[in-house]
Amino acid sequence: MSIQLKELLESLTAARAECSPQAILDLIPYSSFIGAQAKLERDEVLYWLDRRPSNIGNPSLPAIHGGVIGGFLELSAAIEVLYTLDVNLVPKVVDFSLDYLRPGRYKTIYANCTVLRQGNKLVNVTATAWQDNIQTPIATARCHFLIS
Amino acid sequence: MNLKLAIFKPMLKLAMERTGHGAALGFELTRVGHGEVEMSFPYKEDVVGNPVTGVVHGGVIVSLLDTACGSAAITTLTRASVTPTMDLRLDYMHPAEPGQPIYVAAKVYRDTPNVVFCRGSAWQDDPENPIAHCVATFMKVDTPSISLGNVIRRRVKRLFYGDKAYEREADR
Repeated sequence: MSIQLKELLESLTAARAECSPQAILDLIPYSSFIGAQAKLERDEVLYWLDRRPSNIGNPSLPAIHGGVIGGFLELSAAIEVLYTLDVNLVPKVVDFSLDYLRPGRYKTIYANCTVLRQGNKLVNVTATAWQDNIQTPIATARCHFLIS
Repeated sequence: MNLKLAIFKPMLKLAMERTGHGAALGFELTRVGHGEVEMSFPYKEDVVGNPVTGVVHGGVIVSLLDTACGSAAITTLTRASVTPTMDLRLDYMHPAEPGQPIYVAAKVYRDTPNVVFCRGSAWQDDPENPIAHCVATFMKVDTPSISLGNVIRRRVKRLFYGDKAYEREADR
């Protein structure tokens, strides 16, 4: 399962050349564990998570597990860094802050990310998750990554 | 252990260990006290976040701490309520050692009528050297959906429909 750094760099370069953020997601086992997917849409990366029973947190609503929403947003933020910036290592997450705005219903969750600042060492990324409408987000997150 | 905790512990264990994401990850609730919960997670290769080093993805730590803090918040309830997470802030101190289990402890440090304030930490071999630390706040929302009758009704539905029961409930 584990790969060498050299292979990772080659896969990253290839994924950027093919405009395929999904190819980067495929390198990370956690993304298939939760079922995260990504595609390019109008020059932006759209991330989504189809519903599956193993992502349920509260079976009574039923609602998606808050940890899955957090993990999905953290994963999306990392992919955004790897795909849009010239970063050649897996970004190390330093801190992660998540606001839950609405319950994550048992259906597809979408997300997009914005890199707000890229420094030499640190990157600040925000991520927003929604279901029915981007105007009614279910969660927003902010994440710092070390990239050196 | 008082009567309330004697009821809460098996219910929390059932909800967190046997269903959905907790079951998929293999969480274990090792201790449930009033406002205090401890959990453990065995290392799993399918949740690796860094394919080069084999370190688990931060999302697992988010799930662990959210579950532990949320469970700790539930133990403070006196009415039929749920405690959705309002926000969660995590600091990652150092990467988790691959192949080793992760332990988590969460504690309610302030309980108010509407909001519960929790903190938690995750470690591997030394609690004084945590891999992550978090603070989280939870809302108290009264709901009849967690009454025993409703819990049993849903369990029976799952027996009939399996995982399709979730879709039926969600699409209703």
